Amino acid sequence: MRTKTFLRITAVAAAAACTVAGLSGCSASSTGSNSNAAKGTYTFWDPYPQYDASSAWGKLVAKCGTDAGVTVKRTGYDTSDLTNKALLAGQQGKSPDVLLVDNPVVSTLAKSGILTDTGTNGLSTGSIAKNILGAGVIDGKTYGVPIGANTLALYYNPKVLQKAGVDVSSVKDWASLTAALAKVKASGGKGITFSGINTEEGSFQFLPWFWGSGAELTKLDSSKAEAALDLWKGWIDKGYAPNSVIQNTQTTSWQEFQSGDFAFGENGTWQKDSAKQMNAGVITIPAEDGGAAPVPTGGEFFTIPVQKDTARYAVTKKIVSCLSSGDNVVTTDNTLNYITASTSLQDKQLAADPSLKTWVEAVQAAKARTGDNLGVRYPVISEQLWTAVQKAESGSASPSAALQAAQQTVASKTSN
Amino acid sequence: MLRRPWWQTTLGIVLTAVMLFPVYWMINVSLTRDQDMRKSPPNLFPLDPTLHGYTTVLGQQLPFLGTSLVVGLGTVALTLVLSAPAAYSLAKLNPRGGGAMSFVLLIAQMIPAIIMAMGFYTIYVKLGILDTVWGLILADSTIAVPFGVLIFSAFMRGIPDELLNAARIDGANSWRTFTSIVMPVSRNSLVTVSLFSFLWAWSDFLFANTLDGGGDAKPITLGIYAYIGNNNQEWNSIMATAVVASIPAAVLLVLAQRYVAAGVTAGAVKD
Amino acid sequence: MTTDTTSLRPSAARADAGAETTSAPARARRPRAQRRAQLTAWAFLAPVAIYLVLFYAYPLYKNVELSLRQYTVTSFISGDAPFVGLKNFQAVFTNPTFPPAIWHTAVFVLVSIAVQFALGLALAVFFHNRFPLSGLLRALFLVPWLLPLLVSASTWSWMMNSDSGIVNAFLESAGIGQINWLTSPTWSLIAVLVANIWIGIPFNLVIMYSGLQGIPEELYEAASLDGANGWQRFWRITFPLLRPVTAITLLLGFVYTLKVFDIIWIMTKGGPAGSSTTLAIWAYQLGFGNLLPDFSSAATVGNVLILVALVVGLVYARMQRRLEV
Repeated sequence: MRTKTFLRITAVAAAAACTVAGLSGCSASSTGSNSNAAKGTYTFWDPYPQYDASSAWGKLVAKCGTDAGVTVKRTGYDTSDLTNKALLAGQQGKSPDVLLVDNPVVSTLAKSGILTDTGTNGLSTGSIAKNILGAGVIDGKTYGVPIGANTLALYYNPKVLQKAGVDVSSVKDWASLTAALAKVKASGGKGITFSGINTEEGSFQFLPWFWGSGAELTKLDSSKAEAALDLWKGWIDKGYAPNSVIQNTQTTSWQEFQSGDFAFGENGTWQKDSAKQMNAGVITIPAEDGGAAPVPTGGEFFTIPVQKDTARYAVTKKIVSCLSSGDNVVTTDNTLNYITASTSLQDKQLAADPSLKTWVEAVQAAKARTGDNLGVRYPVISEQLWTAVQKAESGSASPSAALQAAQQTVASKTSN
Repeated sequence: MLRRPWWQTTLGIVLTAVMLFPVYWMINVSLTRDQDMRKSPPNLFPLDPTLHGYTTVLGQQLPFLGTSLVVGLGTVALTLVLSAPAAYSLAKLNPRGGGAMSFVLLIAQMIPAIIMAMGFYTIYVKLGILDTVWGLILADSTIAVPFGVLIFSAFMRGIPDELLNAARIDGANSWRTFTSIVMPVSRNSLVTVSLFSFLWAWSDFLFANTLDGGGDAKPITLGIYAYIGNNNQEWNSIMATAVVASIPAAVLLVLAQRYVAAGVTAGAVKD
Repeated sequence: MTTDTTSLRPSAARADAGAETTSAPARARRPRAQRRAQLTAWAFLAPVAIYLVLFYAYPLYKNVELSLRQYTVTSFISGDAPFVGLKNFQAVFTNPTFPPAIWHTAVFVLVSIAVQFALGLALAVFFHNRFPLSGLLRALFLVPWLLPLLVSASTWSWMMNSDSGIVNAFLESAGIGQINWLTSPTWSLIAVLVANIWIGIPFNLVIMYSGLQGIPEELYEAASLDGANGWQRFWRITFPLLRPVTAITLLLGFVYTLKVFDIIWIMTKGGPAGSSTTLAIWAYQLGFGNLLPDFSSAATVGNVLILVALVVGLVYARMQRRLEV
């Protein structure tokens, strides 16, 4: 009886343990592990979870795969997750074959060593505009090609401006913009909305003003930078910008603009169709003393992660080239509401849709955030920048104090 | 205590209404058009409702509901299989080091989920079970198992020893006692643990995102991502997904509530 | 840890409260029978033991390892980070974000569990009266629990928006001005507290309600006969008898609330200006909240979090043992 009991109990325990182990071991499920062992299946990660397999983008990716002779397994992830997923996968040697990431992240991934450069993977970058390619160039090597570019501009609501008696062509620099906002508020409208949240989006939206005052990212506590932050803070204090900008993402800021009460909304190329639906116009963001402010480039980059089997690069290159050039990329960029990255293709887009003029010009004048050799210093600077902006916006520190603290933190972090 | 029940019912309804107001708001947002999203002040009722969110969700998300159901039920099964025997042992069989084990189970619940998720990722990649439903069930059970052991053992401690001694005298071994006497008596704690583990698995997002993000079979919590694009989020669809996802679980809740926990901690209280 | 969980010393297995006689009669001091009983006990426990090692010990080990080495993005991939001992911990403790983070964590956790528990208990007592619809209403109270945290947190975010939120709309119609719930350093912690309490009430309600079920009706009847009113009945009978359930609820509440991350992240991301940053948020921010992950620091803050929870758990265990002796 004793042995029987013991055996029975051991059997139960063993069964339970085996269940646990078996669950782990036996389910090499075909529902999509990122194993690259299966020849003929290439994994493709992009930050477009809104497009499923039946969408135009999904079908295009599949087509480029079959044109290259392989099956492509595409997964869309949330863009803020993608960096970490890529790093985790890279650590385990299970990187996808094609990784489409937001451009300021390229330098981080390149530094980690999980990306191949054009020397290794053979991608050609000749036709791509240098200012857009800049985000993918680190230490002279190019680690990716852009799918397209987008940037920021100032959308305006003609009805609100008309009610306030503001002529949009008079908005040429900061002073005239602030004056326009004052008029709008006096007429019962709401001034301007933007995104000043404590994430990369906030930095992205602040940069045109930051650069527009002549400040440089390498020196966050300059008086020019302070002028830019004073501008935003002044708007919030005077009620020209709502308090919610502190928490707005670019989407929520756009929703505020869509409600029809705001005169101006700072937002990106990707909203141009939505803007057309509400009959909004667009002007370039003015610099402090006039002219167009330098604007940051947005948009994702195709990158080719390092693989153990280097023979895969040839096929991956075909897939990427198929997606990033010619009519394919023009179609994709039109769907995403981006501008194409090569000048000749931009002309094509412009010819098909002349209303893109402001955007094409803005993109041509834009610069990469990680450019100017900032590389992986940019994420550190950006985090301090959005922290300083938040401090000033919420009133917990003056703009100058906030920026000084930011610069000090950057200095101590980047000197390590 | 049944004096003037209508007064209590009214208060009950008011309190429930206040508590559920955010849920109502969720439904409100799910029916709001994009351009009314940030209206100030907002509409208490969706004056210009749109069914866009719901049509999209019902067209796309239903398979994900099925996956969520499988994951939920699987988590329940696994949690019960693991935690009930262990709780019986801790409650009645006096293993040496049982106290230490209980303490370890408590500590196990202290580890932040993100740390668990990153650790699992490494294990899963090595074992090749990333992006599988089984892997997700396993991960979700880690949320529920320590809690399950706690609830079961608290209840089982309250089972009179005479009952177990009688079984032993009749010649039953521990396993027999466990299956024929202890488990049937523990029915309420069984329902409680099942309910908690199902709900936790159903609403889990972090493990699903880290460990099953790339699979074809995704739970409903990840289905929401279809509406979170890289530049634009469709909030009415996101909220509609949440509403649709809540309905089956809410039904389950109402049905199971009756059985839950009547006397589940009776043992603890009586001692 | 339940009321009668044994202490860490094996010999205290005797302190199995409520059962003077042990369950297995084979526990007559014969070593052989004793060994068999122990084997049986551990056989039942084995699956969970293995499970713990595989799924909790490993991530914990990885996390400790991350915090004892200096990982950069490069060495994260290549795996050859230098061992730096406690340097990361030192850096965390001397970081200016640390004191506010600890303070915010303490406030967040203590206020959350106090209010959640009080409201959960009050509601449990209320629903215990079994009036018409009480079952249905009680079940409906659990609905907030079903919602994925992404959705609940986003809904609260929506409701507490400074300009287009319904909460401010109510406040303004009541004559109180606009409160910048999520964008003001003064109010951000309170905003996330409100949301967290809302999410935590169902759990407290269920457990406390079940505890109430376990109190025999006769006690109340006897008390009524003696002339005790409702309040006295609560304080003299209900509350003392609920002590063990209260203890578990508060302890679990503490452990779970310490880990809370989603709600705060989605509503304020720890801001503005770090005014709602707790240890959990800080850990996430370091590791995943910017474009250049710092996994070592994130793991270190995570370990500090676990240590805090551990200390409280030990204090609880010690208190339990003292109460039993």
